[in-house]
Amino acid sequence: MRDRTLKYLLLVPAAVLVLGTTLWPLAVSFTTSFRDWRLTRSVTPGPFIGFEHYITAATDDPEFLNALTVTATFVLIDVTLTLVCALGLALLLRRAGVLQSLTRAVLILPFAVSPALVGISFRFMFNAEMGVFTWLAGAVFPPLQGVVWLGDRSAALLVLVFSDAWRWVPYMTLVVLGGLAALPREPEEAARMDGAREWQVLRDVTLPALLPVLAIVGILKTVFALKMFDQVVTLTGGGPGSSTVTLAYLVYSIAFRWYDMGYASAVAWILTAMLMGLAVWYTRLVLRKPDA
Amino acid sequence: MAAIDLHDLTKAWGNFTAVKRQSLAIRDGEFMVLLGPSGCGKTTTMRMIAGLEEPTSGDILIGGQRVNDLAPRERDIAMVFQSYGLYPHMTVADNIGYPMKLRGMGRAEREAAVRAAADKVELGAFLHRKPRELSGGQRQRVALARAIIRRPRAFLMDEPLSNLDAKLRVSTRAEIKHLQHELGVTTVYVTHDQIEAMTLAHRVAVMQGGEIRQLGTPEDIYDQPADLFVAGFIGSPAMNLLAGEIQDGRFTAPGGIAVAVRVAHRGAAVLGIRPEDLRVLPPGQGDVAAAIYTVELTGEATLVTADVGGARLSARADRGFRAGIGSAIGLALDTSRLSIFDPGTTLRIKDAP
Ligand SMILES: Nc1ncnc2c1ncn2[C@@H]1O[C@H](COP(=O)(O)OP(=O)(O)OP(=O)(O)O)[C@@H](O)[C@H]1O
Ligand SMILES: [Mg+2]
Repeated sequence: MRDRTLKYLLLVPAAVLVLGTTLWPLAVSFTTSFRDWRLTRSVTPGPFIGFEHYITAATDDPEFLNALTVTATFVLIDVTLTLVCALGLALLLRRAGVLQSLTRAVLILPFAVSPALVGISFRFMFNAEMGVFTWLAGAVFPPLQGVVWLGDRSAALLVLVFSDAWRWVPYMTLVVLGGLAALPREPEEAARMDGAREWQVLRDVTLPALLPVLAIVGILKTVFALKMFDQVVTLTGGGPGSSTVTLAYLVYSIAFRWYDMGYASAVAWILTAMLMGLAVWYTRLVLRKPDA
Repeated sequence: MAAIDLHDLTKAWGNFTAVKRQSLAIRDGEFMVLLGPSGCGKTTTMRMIAGLEEPTSGDILIGGQRVNDLAPRERDIAMVFQSYGLYPHMTVADNIGYPMKLRGMGRAEREAAVRAAADKVELGAFLHRKPRELSGGQRQRVALARAIIRRPRAFLMDEPLSNLDAKLRVSTRAEIKHLQHELGVTTVYVTHDQIEAMTLAHRVAVMQGGEIRQLGTPEDIYDQPADLFVAGFIGSPAMNLLAGEIQDGRFTAPGGIAVAVRVAHRGAAVLGIRPEDLRVLPPGQGDVAAAIYTVELTGEATLVTADVGGARLSARADRGFRAGIGSAIGLALDTSRLSIFDPGTTLRIKDAP
C-alpha cells in the first residue's frame, strides 16, 4: 500500500509542472473566451458573457471570415505542395548513390533556420527592386518582369506558401524517405516481374504501402500550417490589405494591437479546437495496429 | 519458352563474391533445379536471371538474346519469391490477377483465370482475403498462383514449397511438375530439399560457395557424385564416407573393411557408399563385422547405424528389422555402387575401363 502512495507522490512534481505550464494557461484562456475583457478599459477580466464572442466570430466578423479563408487557402496549397515535393524528392533520393547520400545529408539544413529568419530572407529575395527571385523570375519568364510579388494579394500568399514549403519540404522528405526505407523490397520487385512499368509500380504498390506515412506527414503539416504565424510577421505583415492574415496572426492582432483579450481567446480557441481534432486523428493513426 | 544461358556470371558485393563465374546452359523447356546449402548463391543467381540484380560481370541470354540490359518487365519471366512478395493491400484474387490486369485482360476473363490458377494450388476459398489474413503456406501458394496464371518465357521459383505442410508439399510438387510438363515452360527452381530436386528436375545443378559443383540428371547426381561435397550433401541419410587406402585393386580401411574396387588409383582414398547399398546380415556373414550403434525406425525402413572399427556406417535395413544396441551384425557392400574419391582434390575417381 505504501509503495502505491509513494508511486503517486513521485508523480506529483511532473504533474504540477504540466498542470502549471500547459493546462492552467489553457484553462484560463478558455474561461477568458467567455468574458468581456478589453485591456483598453480594464486590466482585470470583465464579466462572463456566454458564447457572445463565438457568435460574433461566426456571424458578424469579416476579419475572422477573411482569416479563415486565408488560412484554409494557405493550408490547402501548402500541404499539397509540401506533400508532392517531399514525395517526389524522396523517390529521387531513395536510390543508392553518392549524389543521393550527399543530398540527404544537407537536407536538414533549411529546417535548422528559424522560421522568422526564413520570412526575413524571403522578404529580401522577393523585394521589388533588389530581390534575387524577382530578378530571376523576370529573367526566366519575361511577363513576370516588374511584378511586385509582395504587393499583390494572391502573389503574396503564394510567396508565404513558398517560404513555408521551402522550410518544411526537406524535413518531410526525410520522413518519407524513412517510410520508404522501411518498405519491403519484394512487392515492388514482384510487380516489376509481373510486368508493371515504373509508374505502375509506384501507383499500385509503393504508394498504397506508403499511405500511412503520407497521411501522418499530411496531418502534421496541416497542424503546422494552421498555426502559420512567424513568416506572416516577418515576411508580409499580413498584407497587402489583410490578404495574408492567418488565424494565428489574427489572434495576435486582436490581442496585442486591439487589446481585446476576450475575443482573442475565443478565436484562439476556435483554432485550438481544429488542432485538437487533428491531433486526435493523428494519434489514432500512429497508434493504430500496423497491418502486416 | 526459351533457353536460358549463363556465361561466366559473377556477382560480387565489395570483396565478397556470392556467385563465381558461373556458366549454365538451361535448355528450352527444361526443368532445372538449383540445389545447395543456405547462402550458396541460389537466390542471387535467380535474381540476376530475373533482372533484379545486376551482374558484376558475365552475360545472361534468354532465347539467344542477351538480356543484361533489359528491365525485368522486358524479360517476360514469372517469379515466385522466397519471401512471397505479395501486395499487402490487395486481396488474394487481385494479387493473382495483377499480371493479367497489367496485360489488359478484361474483368470477366481475368476472374476465370484467377479462379483456375487459385484452384490449382487449393486457394479457391481464400480469394477475398488479404495476405495478412493468410498462413505462411497459404501466402506461398498465392505467390505460386500469381506466377502460373501467366504463360511466360520462363518460370523462376525460389523455394516455392518451403512453407507448406508435408501433405500439401507433395501434392503441390506434383502439380508443379505436371504443369511444367504441360506448358513446357523453361523453369529454374531453387531448393535445398533434395527430394524436391530429385523428383522435379530434368537436371540438377548442385551449388556450393557460389559455384556449381555438379550438373547432371538426378540419377547422375545421386549415383555418381562428382566430389565429396555433392556426395555428402545429396541423400538422407548421407552417403557413408570412409577414409582408407587402395592397394592392388583393394580398398582397405580400419575395422577390417576390405573390398575390391575397379579404379586404377592407388594410395589414400575415400570410399563412398549409400545406406541402401549396405545390407544388414546376421553376424559372421557379409564383408564386414560390425556392432549396432543405434537403430531408428522411419516407417518405410529401419536405419541402422553400425560401428566398424570406430567409424560409423549407416545402413538401410528392412522395415521389419529389429536388434538391440551393441549386438553384432554383418554388413554386405554392393560393390557395383561404390564411389571412390581422391581425398586431396575431393574429386570422384572414375572407374577404370
Ligand atoms: N545485397 C547483398 N549484399 C551483400 N551480400 C549479399 C546480398 N545478398 C546476398 N548476399 C550474400 O550472398 C550470398 C548468397 O546469398 P543468396 O541469397 O543467393 O543465398 P541462397 O543460396 O539463396 O541461400 P538460402 O537457401 O538461405 O536462401 C550469401 O552469403 C549472402 O549473405
Ligand atoms: Mg535464397
